[in-house]
Amino acid sequence: MASTPLQNGSVEPIEPSNIPAVVGINFGNSFASIAVFTKEGLAECIANEDGERQIACAVSFFGEEMYIGNQAKNQLVKNSKNTIVGFRNLLGKKFSEIPQSQSTSSAPVIQHPDIPDEPAYKVEILQPAPSPLPKTASNTPAASSAPTPRSEPIPGERILSVSEVTTIFLKSLIQSAQDFLGKTVQGAVITIPSTFTDAQKDALEKAALDAGVKVYQLLEEPAAAASTTTTDIWSPNLSTDRTQLVVDIGASSLHLSLLSLRQGLAHILASHSSENSSVAGNAIDSKLITFFANEFTKKTKTPLTVGSPNGAPSVADARAEAKLRLAVEHTKRTLSASPGAATCSVESLKDGMDFTGSINRMRFDMLIRPIYQSIADAITELLSSAGVDAHQVDEIVYVGGTTCLPGLDEHLCLTGGFNENIDTPFSMGTVVGGGVGDPTTVLARGCALQAALIESLSADEASAELRKAFERNTDLTEVTVTSKTLGLIFPDESGNELGGTWVPVVLKETALPARRSVTFDVELSDESKRFAFELWEVSEGIRIEKVKPPKVELSDDEGADEEEEEEEEVEVKHKTVTKETLLGAAEGKALLGIKAKGPSKETGKWTSTMEATFVVTATGALNVSVKEVGKDGVSLNISVPAP
Amino acid sequence: MATIQTNSIPKSYSLPQSSGAKIASPSTRRLLPTGPAFVSHLRLTVHHGHSFDKHDEFVEKERQRLEELQASTSKSGEDDLGVGDEPETEELLSLDPKEWKKHDYYAVLGLSHLRYKATPEQIKIAHRKKVLKHHPDKKVTTTVTPQSTSSLLTGLNLNTNDDAFFKCISKAHEVLNHPEKRRQYDSVDHQLVEEQEETPTAASFKSQKMDFFKAFGPVFEREARFSRKQPVPMLGAVDASKEHVEGFYDFWYNFDSWRSFEWLDKEVNEGSDNRDDKRYTEKKNKAERARRKKEDTARLRQIVDLALSLDPRIKRIKQEEKQAREAKKAARSAPASGAATPKKSKEQEEEEKRKKEEEEKVAKAEAKKAKAAAANAAKKARRAARATEEGVVGNGNAA
Repeated sequence: MASTPLQNGSVEPIEPSNIPAVVGINFGNSFASIAVFTKEGLAECIANEDGERQIACAVSFFGEEMYIGNQAKNQLVKNSKNTIVGFRNLLGKKFSEIPQSQSTSSAPVIQHPDIPDEPAYKVEILQPAPSPLPKTASNTPAASSAPTPRSEPIPGERILSVSEVTTIFLKSLIQSAQDFLGKTVQGAVITIPSTFTDAQKDALEKAALDAGVKVYQLLEEPAAAASTTTTDIWSPNLSTDRTQLVVDIGASSLHLSLLSLRQGLAHILASHSSENSSVAGNAIDSKLITFFANEFTKKTKTPLTVGSPNGAPSVADARAEAKLRLAVEHTKRTLSASPGAATCSVESLKDGMDFTGSINRMRFDMLIRPIYQSIADAITELLSSAGVDAHQVDEIVYVGGTTCLPGLDEHLCLTGGFNENIDTPFSMGTVVGGGVGDPTTVLARGCALQAALIESLSADEASAELRKAFERNTDLTEVTVTSKTLGLIFPDESGNELGGTWVPVVLKETALPARRSVTFDVELSDESKRFAFELWEVSEGIRIEKVKPPKVELSDDEGADEEEEEEEEVEVKHKTVTKETLLGAAEGKALLGIKAKGPSKETGKWTSTMEATFVVTATGALNVSVKEVGKDGVSLNISVPAP
Repeated sequence: MATIQTNSIPKSYSLPQSSGAKIASPSTRRLLPTGPAFVSHLRLTVHHGHSFDKHDEFVEKERQRLEELQASTSKSGEDDLGVGDEPETEELLSLDPKEWKKHDYYAVLGLSHLRYKATPEQIKIAHRKKVLKHHPDKKVTTTVTPQSTSSLLTGLNLNTNDDAFFKCISKAHEVLNHPEKRRQYDSVDHQLVEEQEETPTAASFKSQKMDFFKAFGPVFEREARFSRKQPVPMLGAVDASKEHVEGFYDFWYNFDSWRSFEWLDKEVNEGSDNRDDKRYTEKKNKAERARRKKEDTARLRQIVDLALSLDPRIKRIKQEEKQAREAKKAARSAPASGAATPKKSKEQEEEEKRKKEEEEKVAKAEAKKAKAAAANAAKKARRAARATEEGVVGNGNAA
């Protein structure tokens, strides 16, 4: 029993939890998302108070009110000149650096009136009227006891610099996280595109500080993705050593990065990014808008022109386009989520006429195919510049709202020349239902994980050194990596190219120093229990084999048309290993051999389980030890000095 | 877990000569500063000078530190007063709530390591823990419903016996939270009854050559819980003082037990309205209780008697007394033999004498006292037994 009676029954106050008070923010140019740690100890993307997990980066002013997020985006229809969007990419830039866009559907960027060469936004607001003077003995007493009515608000103008807008927006994100956590947020990790300059990073850090949160780290988007994909829950079945392609398509940009993940350590092999909106979400929107506008014209005989390069011909058209742009957002999400047809309905699209149209996945994919193709081309270009064959990519990770479209995944897997059992979030089935592979939440969750990691580093001197690594321009991230794969060959009479069984141990692009162990069964020669192995450095390649596809028997009339196509040979790719350098060899006599028993082919064969451990030092010296697993096993060592 | 299988080497295989080659020169890359692997890479390169051995050492230390930290927080931080977590056996979870009289309530609440020692706070905490885990509301959402092949049954919780264990928990809490009911339950605690059966008898003690203290220590510790007077003097060690030993037997011969046997009452037949029927059952129950109580008192008495008869210390004390008496006798004849030891100074001799005499006096007095006390105690116990008997009979008559 509590000694003091509680006012509302005996419910005891909730004890402070040990959930880290950190937040991960994916701050895109068009959309942002926030992630925190939940009670279950998982990083989860959370919704803001509007119930949105993908929060539009928009701030809108209407009268005395200020709207942030998706509410503000809806203001683009009627109140576009007071609605600010796309401010992230302008952070830290000078006014003169910003290309003056000809037509904007939102508040235009202007030169700040007070600060030279500073971009700013001008919005019209209503300021609340000053409250009446307090009643004193000296001023005239009111004639009646009724309170003085509040005066009308005064129309005014407000100049907001880009960094002020960012601060307002970030503050609202952090507020949402605090409401969810129930405690003050200590620190945040925020994503930045890899194209951000130092000035832009400074500006973002300052804006976040003004919003009341300490930035633990500015994490580049591929790094945030890697932070999520190297966790155990991402996929327990994938190898920890893999080559990963991160496809990040937002509303207005395309970023591709080829990462090498080696037991949780990631580095970029090649990357490509373009702010060119012709391959991103907005381009898809435009195509859809044109599609629906044509349909509207067909249905209602009301001419509607959208997407013309020199601005919409009339105000009505411009407004209709803005309305459609908001509506197709929903259409796209429906298409991503369900295999059926998706509708697009707009009330009073033009001239008081309502519009309802629908589109199914196949029609949509046909419409968007050119964009898919340009994405696939960009990937092919990236891979060829990195000298990596598409077949060697083990996994594709999708990031950003546009990549939720299943059609994109299908197109890339079919045309990209990838391995047919490549892992994508779609093939793993983790996209739907807010799974771990949901492209819209990957980055924010990665940031939250990273924030918790930095938070968990203790405050002592040793960790202070480690914390430095998360700052910008640090040398601590620089490493040497192996350039060729190392492994063992156990010679046998199989007569293949390598002359034995190949056991890869240290893959190429592994950060040094590295230590790897592999356990395997070694067959021993019958009497002497002798075994031997060679230590090789190899290069991996791709062998392309032309195979005639098996003929499909078709019925007569169809067969005639398609027979010529069937003649074409299909390229089948195989991974190959070519011996490069012999580094050493050893042989020994196994002591713990086991003879296989039972009625099988293997009966009478002697085998022993061995563990090979490779240690490659930072300079490149290699130390290999092969040991029999078990007590008193034989142990062989090979050392190769550093190059 | 070997997944790779190699073949045996060819007979003609000869080891190739090492070429002295080195690995291809490594290239430089920039790591993405992210993830726990990066932190351990940093520790390895910055703190441990690229040495894996040092790093392993550090990781092991860190793990131990974390474990300790966790252990300490689970002790003091969550403040569960040592209730802890007991594994729940299948048997326990499948208890039938209708058979509640036979349940082991401490096991149900996960307190079987504490039993009668559990404080009300601990019972409260244990109950809350169990309720959180087994509340039927919670089960519906957390347990995975067995996948049924029939589409009609999907979404239905097929496990209808879900709240059985919860009912057991409620019953256990009801009993243990009520001081009177708990007293009744503790009196006939299953485990206690089991243990009591193993009490050493004179025959088993002799046949198995048990150590007296090992055999009887736990017995008295077990019985001590029933004493109205706490703390209870315990058996003590071989070299316990005479006062202790006597105090001990004194206490146990006058043992005032709160043990009662209401728990084993036969249920009054609820269905019958017959007052006589009820009265008859009540009467029988009362008589049964009195009988059991008498048996229990006699049982304890036997144990104490047995202990007294086997106690090596009593022998020792008697021996000492005898020695003291003999010494006294010797002292009386000391002047005669005093000449034989002329080396001792007179003063010393006198002192020794005085000491001996004092000791003897005390020993004598105490021996007398102990005897009287034992006799007294026996009388008292007899009287008490008679009194309860009479009281019961008297009460029975009154009822």
